[in-house]
Amino acid sequence: MSTLTVNTLRKSFGQRRLLSIETLSLVAGKSYALTGENGSGKSTLLRILAGIEAPDSGRGHYGAASFDWQPYPDSLRREVIYVHQQPYLFHTSVADNIAYGLRARGVGPGQRERLIAAAIAWARLERLLTTPPQKLSGGERQRVALARAWVLSPKVLLLDEPTANLDAESRQQTIDLLQGLCAPQCTTVVACHDRDLIAMPGMQRLHLVGGRIEQPSTAAE
Amino acid sequence: MSLLDATQAALRLLLSGDPDLWGIVGVSLSVTLRAMLIAMPVGISLGYLLATLRFPGRRPLIVIVQGLLASPTVVVGLLLYLLLSRQGVFGQLQLLFSQTAMVIGQVVIALPVLIAFSLSAIQGADPRARETAVALGASPPRVAWTMLVEVRFALMAAVCNAFGRVVSEIGCSLMVGGNIAGVTRNIPTAIALETSKGDFAQGIALGIVLMVVALGINTAFAFFQGESQR
Repeated sequence: MSTLTVNTLRKSFGQRRLLSIETLSLVAGKSYALTGENGSGKSTLLRILAGIEAPDSGRGHYGAASFDWQPYPDSLRREVIYVHQQPYLFHTSVADNIAYGLRARGVGPGQRERLIAAAIAWARLERLLTTPPQKLSGGERQRVALARAWVLSPKVLLLDEPTANLDAESRQQTIDLLQGLCAPQCTTVVACHDRDLIAMPGMQRLHLVGGRIEQPSTAAE
Repeated sequence: MSLLDATQAALRLLLSGDPDLWGIVGVSLSVTLRAMLIAMPVGISLGYLLATLRFPGRRPLIVIVQGLLASPTVVVGLLLYLLLSRQGVFGQLQLLFSQTAMVIGQVVIALPVLIAFSLSAIQGADPRARETAVALGASPPRVAWTMLVEVRFALMAAVCNAFGRVVSEIGCSLMVGGNIAGVTRNIPTAIALETSKGDFAQGIALGIVLMVVALGINTAFAFFQGESQR
């Protein structure tokens, strides 16, 4: 039931080899906390998995399909969602931001409106609908970005330090949302240093050291 | 005739609805608007492609485009004249001394401005905008459209700048338009002609119109620049 598998993935910046991963299997329905020192390559790994950045070499497998990372498969792009550490919101309304991925998938206006309304309710964004996205706080932006991801029902969700730089209240709201973010068959990878996130129920730990993934273990260990 | 007298005469001429004078204004705006309608999609698209694609020769191409920003319009007119004259490569099209030739000339003048400003706007955009669009599953055309919308104020400033440059240029219009009354005589060429004939009133009247247009464009330019920095 392996969702996404990475083999012999290499990524260097100049002379520095940042990632050298022999095998990484992300199983459907599991949640992973991707940990490691600053600069260990957590964000780069997530960006490669999301198809935003290309590795120097490597193979990927998604379900039964095998692929190179260049080009990143369209089928995967529709099912893998990446959320930046500091999410970018388009210069439009909060609702239009949530609708963006739905429009890209050709979801019709009626269904789109229903899904947007559900996402707004899920992330408790009702009071922010008339606020320009650029005027939102970091925590509010994070909630909009999570709603924008949630509404697409992704198969693989990649979150880059979702609680970094947030005040205590926003951090707790984000953690609460993360616990209900994914459908049962969704794989979640959260790059983080946040102990509460790492300790979330069912979270399995992937630790990046020297560009390699250390033996996965449960968060409790 | 003193400057004050000439200005008063110019205002009377403007307010009287003089058909010759407003015909010249019409030619100017018609040619420039048509040129902009052609140049805008081409220039902005090329600017976007130049900002986002990586290919051999990209850097020299950018340097050439930026260099063309300062190209004298009379030189553009001269080259176009040579191409459109009877002995020129496109001589058989018989476009010389027509509004079409003026439109072509203004398109050539506007393109480097639009390309360079669009390139700069896209390159200056937050890289997360593109990444977010890609990560949310947008197709390449949708990503491109999203980026253009995100930098819309900077693009509007580019359009204002290009419009201001072509509506006031005289060199190219004179060379390929020929300053034919009622056909290719536009505001800048008419001002030059009327002034040389000593008819300062019409020159000043057309100058007022040009100044109002330029001021309007620059006001819009300043507004869009301010909006893009908010």
